[in-house]
Amino acid sequence: MANLKEIKRKISSVKGTQKTTRAMKLVSSAKLKRAEEIATRSKVYASKLTELLTEIAQKMQQGNEDGIDNVFMKENKNPKRVDIVFVTSDKGLCGGFNHQTIKQANKIMQEYNDAGVEVRLSGVGKKGIAFFKYNQVEMLNQIDDLSGKPDYARSKELINSLVEDYVQGETDKIILIHNGYVNMIMQKVHTQQLLPVDVSELGLTDSVATSEMEVEPDDDDTLLNALVEKYVEYTMFYALLDSLAAEHSARMQAMDAATNNAGDMVKKLSVKYNKARQEAITTELIEIISGMESLK
Amino acid sequence: MELLKLEIVTPEGVIFDDEVKQLTVPGGEGEFGILAGHAAVVSLLTSGVITIDRKDGREVQVAVNGGYIKVEEEKTLCMVDGAVALSGDDTNLAKNIAKAKELLEKAQASTLTVAAAVSKFEGIKK
Repeated sequence: MANLKEIKRKISSVKGTQKTTRAMKLVSSAKLKRAEEIATRSKVYASKLTELLTEIAQKMQQGNEDGIDNVFMKENKNPKRVDIVFVTSDKGLCGGFNHQTIKQANKIMQEYNDAGVEVRLSGVGKKGIAFFKYNQVEMLNQIDDLSGKPDYARSKELINSLVEDYVQGETDKIILIHNGYVNMIMQKVHTQQLLPVDVSELGLTDSVATSEMEVEPDDDDTLLNALVEKYVEYTMFYALLDSLAAEHSARMQAMDAATNNAGDMVKKLSVKYNKARQEAITTELIEIISGMESLK
Repeated sequence: MELLKLEIVTPEGVIFDDEVKQLTVPGGEGEFGILAGHAAVVSLLTSGVITIDRKDGREVQVAVNGGYIKVEEEKTLCMVDGAVALSGDDTNLAKNIAKAKELLEKAQASTLTVAAAVSKFEGIKK
């Protein structure tokens, strides 16, 4: 009979877990809705900003035959030191969400290390930080409690310290890695080169309108520098928003799967329980019958 | 009167998207006005007030804390970090004026800018 009791206990424990995962799924789906809305609204700004930057960069390129001569645009062919910023979540239970980002960060870091380039790592989110700490990889910045509630001022603080090093010539590149939101059931890891701004990637087109555009203040650098600064800050912030939406969608998915699995497990255990119960009854019956037989 | 298309975008989304008669913006090199058919220009915006003459003749003031403006033939795009819109028919105008003032002060606008902006807001009240 001990077996019966044990199975019964197991069933109720699994049911308890299922309740938790179901609640987490509901919470995540509610949070996802908000995070998604914020991310989509910000996307308008992000895309317009990129558009404007592209146009200005293009205008400058037209004036200069041999490429753009600006510290934010000029690519250093032999980078010595590269900054990598990754965004993970503070909380777990969201499937492979953080792992994908970490894997990508690791891969890129490896590539640069193999090429003899020094890599500085900056991490946002407890999960990613914990991973690199465990593997004894040194980190320049470790930012907690930011990916759960993106804050413009704090993200600006982080990225500006890196940009400053870049301007000073301490680093040659800034790369941003985050796991972004695609839809309810999909996330995608994005790897962006923040600085130098990759003009070719912005998708320059030939248009006559830009060449006739006036720029005010009329020395190109003032506007461009301000624009790049904004672009970098905002891309960083947008990565946080995007990552948050993705985190919730990943968690929703993971918790949905967990709830289903728990349901399956309860079903299987119930069958097992019924079988064991039937077996016990049969054994008892046989005992009684054989006892009667022996009395005859 | 010819109208021009205006869109104001903040990190929180699009806050204004309509055709207007005229607008005045606080450019990096000084305030300037834009009418339909303005030459293409890109300019920095400092913190200050954007004044919009709507097509129905009403006037809207938008306090902004810096950004960019891109004027093109077909449309004008304002990108600002933060904005508070004020119009005369607003029921909680006083509250919004306070908000706008706070926004400007936070943007470290000079006291002169804030004062100039506030006097503009006062104009709406009447």
